[in-house]
Amino acid sequence: MPRRKDIKKVLMIGSGPIIIGQACEFDYSGSQACKALKEEGYFTILINSNPATIMTDPGLADVTYIEPLNIDMITKIIAKEKPDAILPTLGGQTGLNLAFFLMKQGILKKYGVESIGASVTAISCAEDRELFKKAMQEIGIDLPKSGIANSVEQGMKIGLNIGFPLILRPAYCLGGSGGAIVYNKEELEKALDKGLEVSPVRQILVEESVLGWKEIEFEVMRDCVDNVIMITSMENVDPMGVHTGDSMVVAPAQTLTAEEYNNFVNLSKKIIRRVGITGGGANIQFGQNPDNGRIVIIEVNPRLSRSSALASKATGFPIARVATKLAVGLTLPEVMNQITGKTTSFFEPTIDYCVFKICRFTFEKFPKAERTLNTSMKAVGEAMSIGRNFKEALQKGIRSMEISRFGFGCDGKDKISDEALKKPDEALTKSIRDKIRIPNDERIFYLRYALKIGLSIDEIYEFSKIDRWFIDNMKQLVETEDKIRKYKNNKPEEAITLPVELLIAAKKDGFSDRQISYLLNAKEEAVREYRKKNNLKTVYKLVDTSAGEFNAKQPYFYSTQETQDEARPSKNKKVVILGGGPNRIGQGIEFDYCCCHAAYALKEEGIDSIMVNCNPETVSTDYDTSDRLYFEPLTQEDILNIIEVEKPIGVIVQFGGQTPLNLAVPLRKAGVSILGTSSDNIDIAEDRKRFKHMLEKLNLRQPESGTVFTFQEAKQAAQKIGYPVLVRPSYVLGGRAMEIVYDEELLEKFIKEAAEVSGEHPVLIDKFLEDAIEVDVDLIGDSETFVIGGILEHIEEAGIHSGDSAMALPTFTLSQEVLNQIREATYKMAKELNVVGLMNVQYAVKDGKVFVLEVNPRASRTVPFVSKVIGVPLAKLATKIMLGKSLKELGFTQEIITKHVAVKESVFPFNRFPGVDVILGPEMKSTGEVMGLDKDFGRAYIKSQLAAGQNLPKKGNCFISVRDRDKRAVVFIAKKLKDIGFNIYATLGTSQALEKSGIPVKVLPRLAEGRPNVLDLMKDGKIQWVINTPSGRIPRQDEVKIRSQVILYNIPYTTTISGAQATVNGIEAFLKKDLQVQSLQKYHKGLKKRPR
Amino acid sequence: MKAILMLEDGHSFNGEAFGQAGESIGEVIFNTAVVGYQEMLTDPANAGKILVMTYPLIGNYGCAPKFNESKKIWVSGLVIKEKSRIFSNWQAKSSLDDFVKSEKLLSIQGIDTRTLTVHLRNKGGALGIISTSEFEKKELLAKIEVFRKNKPKSWLPEISVSKPTRLGKVRGKRVAILDLGVTKSVIKQLESLGFSLTLFPYNTTAHEILKAKPKGLVISGGPEQDPGLKNIEENIRALVNKLPILAISAGFQVLASSLGAKVVKMKLGHRGVNYPIFAPTSYKGEITCQNHSYSVDAASLNKIKNIKITANNLNDRTVEEVESKKMKIIAIQYNPSSPGFNEVNSVFKRFGKIMEE
Repeated sequence: MPRRKDIKKVLMIGSGPIIIGQACEFDYSGSQACKALKEEGYFTILINSNPATIMTDPGLADVTYIEPLNIDMITKIIAKEKPDAILPTLGGQTGLNLAFFLMKQGILKKYGVESIGASVTAISCAEDRELFKKAMQEIGIDLPKSGIANSVEQGMKIGLNIGFPLILRPAYCLGGSGGAIVYNKEELEKALDKGLEVSPVRQILVEESVLGWKEIEFEVMRDCVDNVIMITSMENVDPMGVHTGDSMVVAPAQTLTAEEYNNFVNLSKKIIRRVGITGGGANIQFGQNPDNGRIVIIEVNPRLSRSSALASKATGFPIARVATKLAVGLTLPEVMNQITGKTTSFFEPTIDYCVFKICRFTFEKFPKAERTLNTSMKAVGEAMSIGRNFKEALQKGIRSMEISRFGFGCDGKDKISDEALKKPDEALTKSIRDKIRIPNDERIFYLRYALKIGLSIDEIYEFSKIDRWFIDNMKQLVETEDKIRKYKNNKPEEAITLPVELLIAAKKDGFSDRQISYLLNAKEEAVREYRKKNNLKTVYKLVDTSAGEFNAKQPYFYSTQETQDEARPSKNKKVVILGGGPNRIGQGIEFDYCCCHAAYALKEEGIDSIMVNCNPETVSTDYDTSDRLYFEPLTQEDILNIIEVEKPIGVIVQFGGQTPLNLAVPLRKAGVSILGTSSDNIDIAEDRKRFKHMLEKLNLRQPESGTVFTFQEAKQAAQKIGYPVLVRPSYVLGGRAMEIVYDEELLEKFIKEAAEVSGEHPVLIDKFLEDAIEVDVDLIGDSETFVIGGILEHIEEAGIHSGDSAMALPTFTLSQEVLNQIREATYKMAKELNVVGLMNVQYAVKDGKVFVLEVNPRASRTVPFVSKVIGVPLAKLATKIMLGKSLKELGFTQEIITKHVAVKESVFPFNRFPGVDVILGPEMKSTGEVMGLDKDFGRAYIKSQLAAGQNLPKKGNCFISVRDRDKRAVVFIAKKLKDIGFNIYATLGTSQALEKSGIPVKVLPRLAEGRPNVLDLMKDGKIQWVINTPSGRIPRQDEVKIRSQVILYNIPYTTTISGAQATVNGIEAFLKKDLQVQSLQKYHKGLKKRPR
Repeated sequence: MKAILMLEDGHSFNGEAFGQAGESIGEVIFNTAVVGYQEMLTDPANAGKILVMTYPLIGNYGCAPKFNESKKIWVSGLVIKEKSRIFSNWQAKSSLDDFVKSEKLLSIQGIDTRTLTVHLRNKGGALGIISTSEFEKKELLAKIEVFRKNKPKSWLPEISVSKPTRLGKVRGKRVAILDLGVTKSVIKQLESLGFSLTLFPYNTTAHEILKAKPKGLVISGGPEQDPGLKNIEENIRALVNKLPILAISAGFQVLASSLGAKVVKMKLGHRGVNYPIFAPTSYKGEITCQNHSYSVDAASLNKIKNIKITANNLNDRTVEEVESKKMKIIAIQYNPSSPGFNEVNSVFKRFGKIMEE
């Protein structure tokens, strides 16, 4: 049926900042939706607080609001823009929840807005546990048996009724704390008692255990005339018990019979019909008992999800685009499949390869967090790989993860040596068993160890419940590994004697040159040479949605070892863009944004863009972002293979973050031309000595520093420089293992850590400038003209990683004099480094003096933020410059100082890691960012806080506890708080300081010394804001408890004085006048002539 | 053991044999379904074909007698990329390896099935030979040539029942099945609707069938364009207007040609589980399982009185379903597979209704 003509304006809600569980997949789905709506001629209104998204690019929606995602703001936007419809299914859980709330509150009704894609009944049916249960029972679908208990007696009754084993989940407990699996009556009683105690509402869910069952997912779509299609099945390698977002997943499902598959399809159809989705997609999760085939439904997501993004990338079927078109009334047969160009979307994709998804964790950033995986998601990102068999996909997946691993072990990086595995002692055997029994982020490697020490497939299955089929495939890899090892060289220089047939077999199973070289004790280059000499070439096959049945028009590619290459490279001029790989802390959507812009710029310049990336969540891996997409790991071997086939005029490494930058040197050595700033100049910026030399030459100031390899050297350097010093490894992103050190004792500890991370590179020691203001500058240059994109002032003082700091653009406290110094220094360095493309500089300003901290001749994390604020697509311009255009031609020759103020705030994953302290430091911990945009700093700041999820109060009680150094500064904050009507609670020390200045305070006892203490008040909802600055590197127990409680009860908190200062100002501004909304397009209109 | 697959145009693929050694010639077809290898091997419709699975990982869930569509394997060869070393499913009784061995099927793995599929797609159907003994191109091509020149074999005498056979204990409405290679799943679905089924040999005369007084006739699927089918058109023509008829796949083609429609060879057949069909005047359709290289020509169908095309394939508009209210005929080109959980495809229910009228 033709698209609906009765609606003209459609509102879309984005998913906000990148957090664990909600990453860039919703930028991918949102931007596809924007494009689809535009294609159909609708006027689109978008709200999202995340500036690093492609969807918030001003051209994508007709009107774009970068505002906090809350009911208040959205209502204001609805009142202003008067949309006819809202599309709630493309903005993740955040978008869905907000839309649902708007429906429930009657706001949509009031303004005459219709929810399309999913009705309020459909959403309730899927989201409300009781309604869902009823609906499923109605259509005869089993759920795990369960009951809710408020007492031990009740729980015993429910439990005994269901039968053992049982899972107990206390209500409202973070990260599954207090949960248990019980196998008998006695255990049940004990666990109930404990669980009820820890639950704040004394409630516990007693549930049939489906742990260890198969976890099967189906992606389903349905249109308004009841056409239903399956996009794909997926099977979790990690069985039930691990959140699907943390699981390794394969598509399609590998161990289902045809009959079982049909049964799942049948159920999926029934479910999507019963839930009532009439124009969109759903993700359906099932559990299946591997012993008797019993199926239970786990959950239904009546919206686009992370799994649907994966399903989309795995099959080539653009789910978000199609879902959007279905939402506006089109039917599946009316929407063309752009990959084949011949078929319509009423066609179930089928594939002739194996897709593997593996998750990227970030436990190294939170050493105190438990590495165990459970039903609360902990992964920050994921990589997808494609192979002609599972083994190949598995190995490619592991090397896509950017954890310096090159496959399923045997790459020289195994934690447990082959020697130890040959003669495992009891302790080792036990630890291996434990590691495969209890799911954790390293389990995949321990499965290999388990095979190596001779555990049988059945034993491993019993411990891990991972299907035997997967384990046998892993076993085959171990066997091949052992076969290769027989041809090991005594010396690396010796000629390789590996039989070609074995080499082919290894390559078919995805072994990397690096693994083979390790096994053969040869150089990686030698293996590559040997491969070439024997004419063993990697070929490329297609993702074409049809398993080869149709000649695809717009497919994408994956590498494998087969007989025929289907890459069909074009004869056009082309450029390869290296993407950023899986999301992780320090490297996320910002870099994907830049890579997409590079592709757009190439298109505008008439050059073919070739994207290489392995992150299924991203816009960069969308089939229509680039001319050609290679879904591949970002390693030297994989990229050189692509370059040999495609023969591009150059490669862009500036945009994908550290991953491609690390490849710049080996690629250059292999003769690949790197576009942009010359590699020698990149080296000057990266090499400490050359950099120091350059600064001296330019007469620029730098904190005193040293480069060291050992603790002895470090000690001397630190003494010379004077404590405190900043210790950090070189060549890492996100401040990994970076620390501020105040004395020698700690120095020793951190030098060791840093040296481990740094590898063969030296450790850097800098003078730490206490209480300095940090400044970030983004610049664009064409080797003749250099223009500053933005000067950003950090709100938190120096010492907190720039990725975690809040920042304001334009600056808000720096004097004109200091700004001029910064500009002068920036231009000098850009000229000296002859920047072609982007450059980022970090400064510290102390006592009016400007110090250069570091220079990165590449796109920084702040590029999308700055681009949005000044209305200039910096990454796009930079790409054009690399292709030979000048800034003059592009019309960007002058720094833009905006009248509006933007504040970037970071968002942290602390609620996923119970017990981890929430304080900030030089090691980056945030997963995402938001932007607050307004006419003055106070309002922009408050918006940034609201957007980051800080539910800031306008009145109430504020608890203050600060370290001694901050006691003077906090007086002004407390005074203002009092003036605007807050009550102040404080600990003894802080209260004395405040009372001296005449501020009335209610004193609370230390946690151990009396009650009610602050924890009690927080529990009772009597504290609306906590200001708590940490006392030192090793914080007091009390502080940690308070701060973790803040996370548990979702109370706004601030851990720096500068942050508290800005927040108070914000609240004050907020109280004077309510916050208003304004579109990005309107802000940009106020700017002078800009390039687009 | 080494094995080779050579196509009639001289393209060859090397792999490793399993199941049975020897030589086998037939039309090479590919199926894009991910699961269902055992069902395809034992579907009589595939008799004599060399079956290529486009999904690369085969045998993962093993085999079990309950998944057989008929008494034995009918294909002449199986071509896959990678055979699973173990099988893993609670219902499995044996490995694919053991199954093809016990059925003496010449099978070959380690083939670049993707390249083979793309080649077949571009070329259309092709004859091919699998061999574990002969690797010379000239010799192999000569053997294909001999096969082509020989009179094609009729599989029907082997496939079809040899005498009328009552099935099961169900005592319901009597339905006759003209067995051109009926599958177990079709029988199961009909039985679950409560029909009392009798299988008739493919060449049973109209008179004999009518004598059994069935309330309806199902002309089953089976091998397409089997030489044995020509002779039965007359029998079928004599049954039209006498009984409600449900004709399936190859059965549809025979029925259509007996009514004067043309059956044409498609460049590339439909073999998989993801084919959309839709009624010409609506937006509503179904995803169906299909397995055919021939189709009934729409123009020639339109010339037949009282027959209406009720569904086309959405991709290439081939005829997938026709109906005649007057003659009480439903004829489908797709496979009426069960939607799952022992449920029944709606076409059987519709047929049941016609029989009521």
